Amino acid sequence: MSVVANASVWRLPPRWVLLVALLSIACAEIGGAAMARFKVELARWARDRMLARPAVHGLVGVRDVDERILDEALVKFDAGLRLFHMHAEGMGLVIIATTMVATTMAQSVAVRRTITALLTTGGAGYPVGYLLWSALIPSYGPDGAKTIAEWLVWVPFGSATIAALWWLVGLVALRMLRPEK
Amino acid sequence: MSRPVRRPPLAVVLVAIAMMALGETAGATMSQLKPQIQRYAAARVAANPEAHGFSGSAEYDDEVRAQAIFSAETGLSFFHLHAEGVGLVLFFAATLVAALVPARRVRTLLYILLTLGGLFPVGYLAYGAAVLELGRDAGIGLAERWLLAPLGVAAIAGLLGLMLVTARRRA
Repeated sequence: MSVVANASVWRLPPRWVLLVALLSIACAEIGGAAMARFKVELARWARDRMLARPAVHGLVGVRDVDERILDEALVKFDAGLRLFHMHAEGMGLVIIATTMVATTMAQSVAVRRTITALLTTGGAGYPVGYLLWSALIPSYGPDGAKTIAEWLVWVPFGSATIAALWWLVGLVALRMLRPEK
Repeated sequence: MSRPVRRPPLAVVLVAIAMMALGETAGATMSQLKPQIQRYAAARVAANPEAHGFSGSAEYDDEVRAQAIFSAETGLSFFHLHAEGVGLVLFFAATLVAALVPARRVRTLLYILLTLGGLFPVGYLAYGAAVLELGRDAGIGLAERWLLAPLGVAAIAGLLGLMLVTARRRA
């Protein structure tokens, strides 16, 4: 099934897509504000959790050695929160822009729905991986947490976004080569 | 009163979407292929010892090699960041041009400037590659002079032009 639409004007994506994008941007804003407001509390929470799991972090009980390990893990914990803030802001906007293109350019309903679903779930899900990474660092260490976030979130959601974006590039290129009659 | 928003030409949309796709792909590549990228960068530095000013002193050469690899990775990282952002800027700015600029010639000029500006992130890819082939300072200088500066100026000119047209329209 296909739709014939006036492709010289933008068509808005479905409302749920816009809501997901706005939610992603709102979460990013809240995340940024929370990072600034609760910086000390967050660092203290992470530090306490890490001290409760010395084996996971390779703590040896020597202050000089342990402090360096804890500092490195805390830098990564903070980096995860910052990257969530940055990616959720950006991906919210990417969802709005790219799903608008898909809604306007894709003539087949199935193609349009598939690209829109991939862009929305991929774009909104991917930044959550950074939040998960940060949350898991105190329990699993930076590398263990990264592996979990990578396979649970970054690879599936990131791949969905990349595949959908290149699909969209192909679609727009095709429309340039074969303009609408 | 709301009305349908016109879209920019397909070529402009294509550049914007392709830039975002390249940015996403570069981010994934950086994350998944970091050791391979570092090995490739080290091999390119080793293949161009004169460009990097190797002295034969292991300690000095290691430092120079590390700096060159770091700069190449920085180029890739900046490409990822800017491609995502500039792709969005091009998309939304070009949509504003389509919606707000009535004169066809002005619109075309703004599309050209903004699209050239949309290619700005490619300068960072060149930056990373040129550092490995020509040495750190020469590589950065080349990318800045021939790509980053002109494409950046095009983006700024396009955005200022859009701002002026919008201001005149309101007046």
